[in-house]
Amino acid sequence: MHDGRFDPSGFYEFNLTDGMVRARTGERVVILSEDVLSALVAAAARDGDLTPLRRLGELLGEQVLGGLDRPASVLSPEAVLGHASAVTALFGWGRLAFERWGSGLVIALRDKPELDEDELGAAALLGGMFSEISQRQVSCVPTGDSKFIMVDFEVAETVWGWFKDGADLPAIVGMLEAKRAS
Amino acid sequence: MSDREDRLRSLLDKVRAKRPDERATRAADALDRIRTASGTTAAVQVQSSRPAPVPSSFPTQLPASPLPEPPTSPALESPTRYSSQPPRVERPLSVGPRARVSSGAPAVASQSRRPESIRPQSVAPTGQPVIYATDPPELPRAKTFGDLLELTLSLRPR
Repeated sequence: MHDGRFDPSGFYEFNLTDGMVRARTGERVVILSEDVLSALVAAAARDGDLTPLRRLGELLGEQVLGGLDRPASVLSPEAVLGHASAVTALFGWGRLAFERWGSGLVIALRDKPELDEDELGAAALLGGMFSEISQRQVSCVPTGDSKFIMVDFEVAETVWGWFKDGADLPAIVGMLEAKRAS
Repeated sequence: MSDREDRLRSLLDKVRAKRPDERATRAADALDRIRTASGTTAAVQVQSSRPAPVPSSFPTQLPASPLPEPPTSPALESPTRYSSQPPRVERPLSVGPRARVSSGAPAVASQSRRPESIRPQSVAPTGQPVIYATDPPELPRAKTFGDLLELTLSLRPR
């Protein structure tokens, strides 16, 4: 039975002889300064290709899933958040939190590295991470104030357009409605 | 013309008596200009009345049309203003979903100020996360992360 706690011990393996750092699942990781990462992400955002950030998010999601003994969908939101926030913190990406606005699940990522101005880098990271955790394709759309609303990828572009037009999170939630799959 | 010429001539004589060099030269120049004044003036008039070549892109109609009026208060309510929406954020949580607002409920002051707001009025958060702020009867409380996921992924534009 999963107790919902995350054990960070032994998460990283430092191989000083070979000059490698590996995460618990065997993925090799590289430690970058925030400045370097910011420049890389800003360039990727300008080019419109944030695939590497989304892939990094998927790797974080794999780390989260590796700490769960059951699918995330059957766990409580608190349990999933506990593992996700721990992995996010271990990779230095800030403090993760869930908020619920109406029917919308909003992910807050505080104290994250300062990347691109539109927060598209963090959005891509979170989208990849929660797609892996949920085993579904989701998008996390920036809504300002380090908050990202999780929506189906088919409506992500629309929501992003609303935000770029000046809508804040309450307005965006108000323009969405839950529609059950028939 | 002759009176002015005589006056200048006498003035020229006086100046020559005092400073025969510099000032006399200036006065002589002035005298010459007066003598040829009629011809010179005519030349200038002809030149100014001739249609000057104007580039095709030159805004020839600009002076004829008045400048646009400075923006008044109605103009400020176009797209740049609807982004902040402070009146709606200040609305209490008890305000119901869109159906209640549009079903004959008296409009609040902010709505009367902006009757054609393009934003829906169905959500009434106060800047803090609100659980079941909209449509409370339709939303079951999420027991699992999967429930939460289903709800948020079912969101579509109204």
